[in-house]
Amino acid sequence: MMPSPPSRRALLHRAGAGAGLLGLATLFQDQHLLAAPDPLAPRQPHLPARAKRVIWIFINGGPSQVDTWDHKPALARHDGQELAGFDKFTGFFANAVGGVMKSPFEFRPRGRCGKMVSEIFPHLGEHVDKMAFIHSGHTESNNHSPALFAMNCGLPRMGLPCAGSWITYGLGSESRDLPAFVVMSDPLDRGLPKGNASNWSAGFLPGVYQGTWLKPKGAPIDNLLPPPNLPPAAQRDQLDLLARLNRSHRDAHPGDPDLDARIQSYELAYRMQATAPETLDLSRESEATKRLYGLDQPHCRHFATQCLTARRLVERGVRFVQIYSGGMENQRSWDGHSDIKGNHSQFAGETDQPVAALLQDLHQRGLLEDTLVLWCGEFGRLPVAQKGAKPGRDHNPHCFTAWLAGGGIKGGVSHGQSDELGHKAAVDKVTVHDLHATVLHLLGLDHEKLTYVYNGRRFRLTDVAGHVIRPILA
Amino acid sequence: MCNAGPPVEAFPLRQASSRKDSRPRQRDPVISVRLLLTLLLLLRPVSLPAQALPLPADHAARMKAGTALFTASIRPVLLEQCLDCHGGEKTRAGFSLASRESLLAGGDSGPAIDSSSPPRSLLLALLRHEEEPFMPAKKPRLPDATLEAFQRWIELGVPYDRPLVESASKPAEMTVTDADRAFWSFRPLAVPADPNPGSPRNPDHFLAEARAAAGVTPNPEADRRTLARRAALSLTGLPPAPGVLEAFLADSRPDAWPRFVDSLLASPAFGEHQARQWMDVARFAESSGFEQDYDRPSAYHYRDFLIRAFNQDLPWDRFTAWQVAGDELAPGEPLALQATGFLSAGVFPTQLTEAEFESARYDELDDMVGTTSVAFLGLSIGCARCHDHKYDPIPARDYYALAATFATAIRTETEIEFAPELHRARLAPWEARERELAAALAVHETSLAPAFGSWLRAPDRPGITAPSVWQVLEPVSLTARDGTTFTPQADGSQLATNPAPAREEYTVEVAVAAGSTALRLETLTHPSLPRQGPGRAPNGNFALGDLVVTSRPSVHPEARPVPLKLVAARATHQQNTGSLSVASAIDADPQSSGWAVDSGGIGRDQAAVFSWGTPLATDSRLTIRMRFQVNGQHSPGRIRLSSTADATAPPGTGDGVPGPLASALDRLAKAGPDALSPDQTSVLRRAWLATDPGWKQRDAALQAHRSVRPRPDLRPVMICSEGLPPLKHHADGRGYPHFYPQVHVLERGDPKRKKEVASAGFPQVLLRDGASPADWQVPPSQGARTSHRRATLARWLTDPERGSGHLLARVAVNRIWQQHFGRGLVATPNDFGFQGSRPSHPALLDWLATEFIAHGWSTKHLHRLILRSDAWRQAPDHHPANAARDPDNLLLWRFPSRRLSAEAIRDSLLAVSGLLDPTPFGPGSLDESMRRRSLYFTVKRSRLPNVMVVFDWPEHVVSIGLRPSTTVAPQALYFMNSPEARRYAEALAARSNGSLDAVYRFALQRSPAPEERDAATAFLTSQTRHHHSPRAAELALADFCQALLASNEFLHLP
Repeated sequence: MMPSPPSRRALLHRAGAGAGLLGLATLFQDQHLLAAPDPLAPRQPHLPARAKRVIWIFINGGPSQVDTWDHKPALARHDGQELAGFDKFTGFFANAVGGVMKSPFEFRPRGRCGKMVSEIFPHLGEHVDKMAFIHSGHTESNNHSPALFAMNCGLPRMGLPCAGSWITYGLGSESRDLPAFVVMSDPLDRGLPKGNASNWSAGFLPGVYQGTWLKPKGAPIDNLLPPPNLPPAAQRDQLDLLARLNRSHRDAHPGDPDLDARIQSYELAYRMQATAPETLDLSRESEATKRLYGLDQPHCRHFATQCLTARRLVERGVRFVQIYSGGMENQRSWDGHSDIKGNHSQFAGETDQPVAALLQDLHQRGLLEDTLVLWCGEFGRLPVAQKGAKPGRDHNPHCFTAWLAGGGIKGGVSHGQSDELGHKAAVDKVTVHDLHATVLHLLGLDHEKLTYVYNGRRFRLTDVAGHVIRPILA
Repeated sequence: MCNAGPPVEAFPLRQASSRKDSRPRQRDPVISVRLLLTLLLLLRPVSLPAQALPLPADHAARMKAGTALFTASIRPVLLEQCLDCHGGEKTRAGFSLASRESLLAGGDSGPAIDSSSPPRSLLLALLRHEEEPFMPAKKPRLPDATLEAFQRWIELGVPYDRPLVESASKPAEMTVTDADRAFWSFRPLAVPADPNPGSPRNPDHFLAEARAAAGVTPNPEADRRTLARRAALSLTGLPPAPGVLEAFLADSRPDAWPRFVDSLLASPAFGEHQARQWMDVARFAESSGFEQDYDRPSAYHYRDFLIRAFNQDLPWDRFTAWQVAGDELAPGEPLALQATGFLSAGVFPTQLTEAEFESARYDELDDMVGTTSVAFLGLSIGCARCHDHKYDPIPARDYYALAATFATAIRTETEIEFAPELHRARLAPWEARERELAAALAVHETSLAPAFGSWLRAPDRPGITAPSVWQVLEPVSLTARDGTTFTPQADGSQLATNPAPAREEYTVEVAVAAGSTALRLETLTHPSLPRQGPGRAPNGNFALGDLVVTSRPSVHPEARPVPLKLVAARATHQQNTGSLSVASAIDADPQSSGWAVDSGGIGRDQAAVFSWGTPLATDSRLTIRMRFQVNGQHSPGRIRLSSTADATAPPGTGDGVPGPLASALDRLAKAGPDALSPDQTSVLRRAWLATDPGWKQRDAALQAHRSVRPRPDLRPVMICSEGLPPLKHHADGRGYPHFYPQVHVLERGDPKRKKEVASAGFPQVLLRDGASPADWQVPPSQGARTSHRRATLARWLTDPERGSGHLLARVAVNRIWQQHFGRGLVATPNDFGFQGSRPSHPALLDWLATEFIAHGWSTKHLHRLILRSDAWRQAPDHHPANAARDPDNLLLWRFPSRRLSAEAIRDSLLAVSGLLDPTPFGPGSLDESMRRRSLYFTVKRSRLPNVMVVFDWPEHVVSIGLRPSTTVAPQALYFMNSPEARRYAEALAARSNGSLDAVYRFALQRSPAPEERDAATAFLTSQTRHHHSPRAAELALADFCQALLASNEFLHLP
């Protein structure tokens, strides 16, 4: 007896969308997104996609725009002067506000476009013609975890799905035996980004859309390897037995596609056992590639490993990869409250060659055409000093710089401007929602249509705002 | 969550009164620009304020751009050039531009703005001097750039960031009408008359007619084994225990089924399973979330409240009321206090900057309002935070009225005595025994009176003090920096009588004789101290970070004290020889090292001797400062100081003559008994008694008994209340106030844009027949600590006659129905509003709600009703004909089999493998390998257990009414490879003793079919060959068990 095709309602529920979508069939406009029994099946986007996957280099802690990509000669002219009208509650330490502070780094023009780039990025400077810079980014919170949540999930609150989850929900996974959304955090015991796993949470979306965190220590994915006392042949036979049990149970209970889905899930898991370790095994890469990323350099080996892993993941169809540079706060990340020179030199040093290599490698393999690479943190830093023995810079929600490269991005352009000192976004201001809308757009998703109904409200990554930043599109 | 929108006034204008019916408002934000343009064309030339339009897709962006333009270019011109005559001091020509509304309303000459054709707006014509009167009056024409800005502004919908004159603002607020109240969920309960009044009604009566009309035939009843397994898993989240199932199958009484159901309802596991489901709705967790994710170690009492409430069948109205206002309604009832953990379970960013204080508090109020309204009423009131609700008749001011209800409610901790009756029962015999022992001692003392008298007068009276090199010192003064109070004891010691502060510092001044070379500090035990002391920390320990002595001559008390350098320190016991040694009390580090006495020294008297080498030259005053900062509450509970001239005196305890006794003895020796003061006689009597073995024995018996006085079971419990000290956190250091006494209505949810102060109230759509919040008011008593606003809310929530109790009941019975059929009669359990589903069987829903209320809001009654129904007891079989007519099984022609929840899966694995630890209540655990039921996982928001998350555990940040149920590879990996899955399999194999029958009986509560037995036997034979181990057969059976426990049959509700 053939089971009748499952109803749309049943499909929605099995897709994990039950909580959000039941009963809303008439209102839901994006039925195709969920018209498959597998919640991770690949789906067609709303629009022609320019990018199929995303690698987000998260500059954790808040990189200083004026010491990296947003060259501000005026800082030197006003060095040491008080910044008139400055609200001392802008940053985190209201009692340590110093005068305007010039960048400790030299800038020089790089690439054909002549972009002024800080000396801390000797390798990345080679690739400015691939990058579109946004110098007018701004956000709401001056505090790490709310700002991280805003950058990842749209609003400075807990409980919302992050961009990676929204994208996986919208597009599914190209890979059948790897997680769709992978997150890598600092492997040098400097901790997780503030707010921990909430930064790659699926919020109220089904849990299948949350990021898979590759543990920096031990087995990277839970339960990936068979138990020690179960030889491979024994596990294969065990799974064959299980399939047999499940098939006869299914035959006695027709009409429930869930039962079939589980039978398939065991086969998929069995394949993952082989694929995932192979993907994470960098020994298969050539020596030249390893050197390109800096695997032979102690100061950046960890980040090189993660960037090369990211390439291997996207190559195999992983949709969204996020790598955090640094962990927690202060000297453990780009959070240069003290010694901005030492702090940014160190973290730029850890990431410069690996990220540059990633761009080059993706480009050489033809992957950059449809892979979007995003470089940004949760906020920027202030043009005034945070006082101390070695001065630093405090948090600045009013201005940050981000760059994008790859699929659908016009290279060598700069969009928006900060004010003369890089204190506040001034021209063509860009919100976090705009950034998200642009990323979704490049992936073929209309940020106003990618919605999920939860507890009576239709939610979007971009809340009720967001504009695609068209001038940076190729 | 809508507060990130641009700061603009509502656009486009809505005319709430034009709504005649209760259909959802067509204001869908996701709508194409083309459709909007079409609508605009159709509507021409109607000017703007006439019609509520769908929002254009770029609405937010337009508003943002428009507002920015207004602020930068329009507002200054209006203020400077126009306002004086038009809405400021005067309003000429009936035209005011003080606010957007008045501008759009136009003046005596008609509309000023033409939205369909902005360039043709009258306002522009006057400003361009194309029409008279030229504006601004008697002033030059405005620059072209400004005129262009005006046109652009009109094209963008004339947004204002705020009115030019505050009082001019008359926002077109949503009005709530009786038509709104006619929406199905807001209406009173209505049950059609019973067509067969003779027999009791049941859910099947309501389904039968619809099934017949649709031509759908329900399945026959499932077999009894299936039913028993289904019922146990549904009600308790565990499979039936071995023996229970057999007993039921053997029960041939006609009421065997109801009896079986009742036995499950009476099982303690019932409350645990039900509690866990409500924890989803209550977004319950035990940490604060955000970056620190601090633990809330006393939050688990809310979970324990839920278990007890369900097991006791606490009526749902009280269950509801206590969660909202238990502290106000039943302050003496521990369960009611625990229940308020509902309100305090939300996330909170404990690290805040000053700029975030107010918005953080409004977010917290939003969590309380949102969760309360969604959980109990199925209403997404939280949507009205930034503007009137887009779909439901809930104006923003109703939202703020609810927020004001919680204005002063804070997260706090209180100490609750658990099981006071048990304490009383233990105390009574203890007190009786204490009286006996005290009486025995008193009788003995009386009998000794003559002997004491003889001793006093005896010329050669024997000594009553042991020889000692120590002179016990009477403090001249004794102070404690952080509030410790002392009571002097007979032996010259000082007993601390209040709970220890976190950090403490004692300063003692004593007089010592010339020649003294050392000081002894005794830290003594006492029955009143934790574990008898000698320390005041919960473990009985203390840690003396440092001890510093300064000295000055007694004859020159005004002299500047000079430090006395301590050269050696010895002790009766020290916790280690490093940072907790006695030597570390005189090192330079008062913070991280100091003398402590755990590891063998707790419950015993201890002493340390500090010496300074050179004897004091004169009688001296010593000031001794002791700091206790090494660890929380680590100060000693009873101290005594002595001095000696013997530099080699060992550190002993208990010896030494206290000052009053020494002087009494001296006086007795010099002047005889008649010269003694009454106090001195009493001191001598006490010391003399201590030499009598009979007295010593009786006194010791009494002291020993006092030391075992039963203590009440007092535990800190996190609650929500008012007027108590808020639970401290990180942001306190920056001065976070925890609450603001007044809640304001906020423009666009922005705390920087406050409007009027909101007063507590309820959603108007749930106030019928002219009722007002005052009708439920609970006036606070004189001097009440709390406002009783929440008590008022609770009364209204639970009032089915005039309040919102009817909706409360509908939402509750729907959740229980959903628990049993996988889908509620309303498929959106957290949304009973316009956006939510309509009930599939409205009469059945209302009948269940009516039954529920009529049976004292008993959830167990509802479970009984449902489990006795044919709909629930039918087989899960699939039938193509039925499926063709009703593919969603809305008519319940089959029992909807489905995957078990994360908890039921894990708990079943533990149960069938014999590993389950059924210990109920108390603090939970983060250990994924723990063996208690899954609801005892501590819900730490940043560390959700992987095994739970893999099976669709929610995030516990917002209320979840229905979990998704997914089938993904990580679940398969869990069964295949996790250490736990292997452990369960091996335990099941071990307890089955090699018997396939036993494996099946434990795991699936049935015997294997012949072909299953054959397959299993073949598998075991071949699998044994894979394992090159003496235990190959055992391992093969474990492999089999692992497969069985991973099978769909095990994972699915049958």
